[in-house]
Amino acid sequence: MAVYILRRLLLAIPTFLGCTLVVFFIVQLAPGGPLEEEIRALKMGGGGEGGAITQQAGSVTALPQDAMDVLKEYYGFDEPLFLRYPIWLGIYPRKVDRFIIQLGEARNIGDGKSVVVQQKGTEYEIFDAENPNQALSGWKVRNYKNDKGEQKLQIYKEKFSGILTLNFGKSHKYNEPVLNLIQSRLPVSIQFGIISVILTYTFCVYLGIQKAIRHGSPFDFVSSAIVFVGYSIPGWALGAVLLVALGGGSGIGWLPLGGFQSQDYDSLLLFSKIADRAYYFILPTIAFCIGAFATITMLMKNSLLDNLSQDYIRTAFAKGLKERRVIWVHAMRNSIIPVAANFGHLIGIFLAGSYLIERVFNIQGIGKLSFEAALSRDYSILFTFTVIYTVLSLIGSLLSDVILATVDPRIRFK
Amino acid sequence: MFSKKSKVNTVEEKIPTIMQRRWRKFKSMKRGYNSFRILTMAYILSFCLPILVNNQALMVSHNGEWSFPAFRTFVAELPILNTIIPNKTYQGIIFGQENNTSECKYRELQTQYGNENKGDFVIMPLYPYGPREIVSGNGERGDVFLKPFYRTSDGGFRLFGTDDSGGDVFSKIAYGFNISISFALLLSIIEYLIGVPLGGALGYLGGKFDLIMQRIIEIWASLPVLFLIIIVVSMATPSFGLLLFLLSIVSWVGITTYVRAEFYREKAKDYVAAAVSIGIPTWKIMLKHILPNSLVPLITFFPFTLIGGISSLVSLDFLGFGLPPGTPSWGSMISVGLDHINDGYWWITVVPLTAMFFTLMLTVFIGEAIREAFDPKVFSRLR
Repeated sequence: MAVYILRRLLLAIPTFLGCTLVVFFIVQLAPGGPLEEEIRALKMGGGGEGGAITQQAGSVTALPQDAMDVLKEYYGFDEPLFLRYPIWLGIYPRKVDRFIIQLGEARNIGDGKSVVVQQKGTEYEIFDAENPNQALSGWKVRNYKNDKGEQKLQIYKEKFSGILTLNFGKSHKYNEPVLNLIQSRLPVSIQFGIISVILTYTFCVYLGIQKAIRHGSPFDFVSSAIVFVGYSIPGWALGAVLLVALGGGSGIGWLPLGGFQSQDYDSLLLFSKIADRAYYFILPTIAFCIGAFATITMLMKNSLLDNLSQDYIRTAFAKGLKERRVIWVHAMRNSIIPVAANFGHLIGIFLAGSYLIERVFNIQGIGKLSFEAALSRDYSILFTFTVIYTVLSLIGSLLSDVILATVDPRIRFK
Repeated sequence: MFSKKSKVNTVEEKIPTIMQRRWRKFKSMKRGYNSFRILTMAYILSFCLPILVNNQALMVSHNGEWSFPAFRTFVAELPILNTIIPNKTYQGIIFGQENNTSECKYRELQTQYGNENKGDFVIMPLYPYGPREIVSGNGERGDVFLKPFYRTSDGGFRLFGTDDSGGDVFSKIAYGFNISISFALLLSIIEYLIGVPLGGALGYLGGKFDLIMQRIIEIWASLPVLFLIIIVVSMATPSFGLLLFLLSIVSWVGITTYVRAEFYREKAKDYVAAAVSIGIPTWKIMLKHILPNSLVPLITFFPFTLIGGISSLVSLDFLGFGLPPGTPSWGSMISVGLDHINDGYWWITVVPLTAMFFTLMLTVFIGEAIREAFDPKVFSRLR
């Protein structure tokens, strides 16, 4: 078992690298990146009359070269394409604390410090401006030509900083670290995820059992129809219908038209808080769960039916056990296996979110964040989601297999 | 469907083949079989929509000359004929509609001829509103947001009302049905064409090939399709074919995994060993021996890939990254409807949702029936 898990973990590494690499380059090479967005924003904001003219010129050079350089460095576009991925990963040093400097002139680098760069042969040396004899360590000097061919001297420090060091970067749209952004959206998503998982599994397993026991009865037929009706309609669409019917506006106004809490939520008492949350959660939760109902219910039903026609059930009945015991103890233990096979993927509920449902109900959740990041080419958010989803799905499938092996002792991993 | 075969061979007539038995069982399941009949009929009928539901006249007789605008457009939009016959719209002025050099307004023409009473006539389709009609101007005649079952002053009848641009909801729904089903069918076929051979090869050949390909497929499946679509849409207007291509980039992965598992299981069985031992080439074993045996789950899977196709097209249209603007599509109608949800124009949301719901439900019923017809297990209960 341990060997198997280790093997799977090792196999997960190339998959993870491959997934992130592919996404990284697609996003990086896609036209209309954050740089262009930023330039456009700067041009538009740069005075009323300037807007039209620079737009007509339409070229990148309309922005001062220095500003361009700063922007490019900020997004890491000054590095060659093949180095961007290892830098982002954190296995190749990232240039930080960059300052453009003139040879022999003191440059303030913050914290009340300033430095001087001196040339010695082909080498450069960096000194503290206050204490000219002491060479500063950790700094590097770079002599380069910018796009216009101007010679520039830049000092910088090198630092390994990427997703492996848990630096997920900053969102350029919100100007906030990505992790903070995700963290602020997380509570809603986790609540949705947990509530819907508990509801779906308790309801579906129970319904599946009842349907199997009464296979062929009117109850079975009607509940099948209802469950498939639920499967037929996408969650967000059902949510929209319910919103029209039950929400304010054209409906009867029993339930709120969107959002996930009242405006005075913070001032409420604990009990009213829960009631308030439930009031806002009813429709989105239904929309969120409805698709999974059919699959899990039918899986449970078919699996139990399968087992009920087995010989060991015949034996159990033959030795005089009560039906309740035969079904709930003997048959259930085997029947729950296919349902449990999916448990590992439940790890994904922590990032549960669907943009469509969130849009219909106007909820600020994870789905909305990632969709809007894709729209505005917010690289850091996009990459972070890729990383998180890839890791979660890899762990999820491993976890599923391990759980499967635990509940079904017949399964042995090689 | 299968009767022709058995008439040739009289001996087999009495013992139905397994496919015949399955077909009979499927037919005996009323809910699924009726769903199948309704859906197939509706889909076939939806190709005749240009002559059933259209704002172009079937026939115009003006000064003794006959013209057939709806048929002309219909023929000119057919896949091959459209290269030969140019798509021509009739100007209103040709038929005596004064000052109208753009496309003729046939419904108004009909009233005009009626008033003139000169022997000219217009034959309109059964439901004389087209899916791409837009009420020009500021809704001057109050033709925007008409309620369902609305009767206009000129005797027109709007079955499901009109939307924010005065477009007829019923007409859009009907044309959208054809587009949705066609899209989902093509998408599913592409998925199968890629997924079955690849999954079969993975499952049968196995070994290092399987191990490496599996990783590549996992990586491939992580492609950010929605992001790709967003980028492509920002550069070019997406067409039907382009969307089909973009959505089929990763959608075949599910089928591949499925077929792989199926081939993997079948491979270990005795009949395969027998086939190998008498020296049948690998491709023949896969194609003629294993594939027919793994067909059952593939066929039962089909309705559900169809549902996936319909849902994803509707979702994309809803997000605004779907078919080009102006194409009658359910998703964009729902999106428009939700924008007006607070104004009481409920039908713009409810009607396309209902249409989608019924289509998907019929498909699910078909799928369930097929699954049951193909399932050899007969459950027996002791108590």
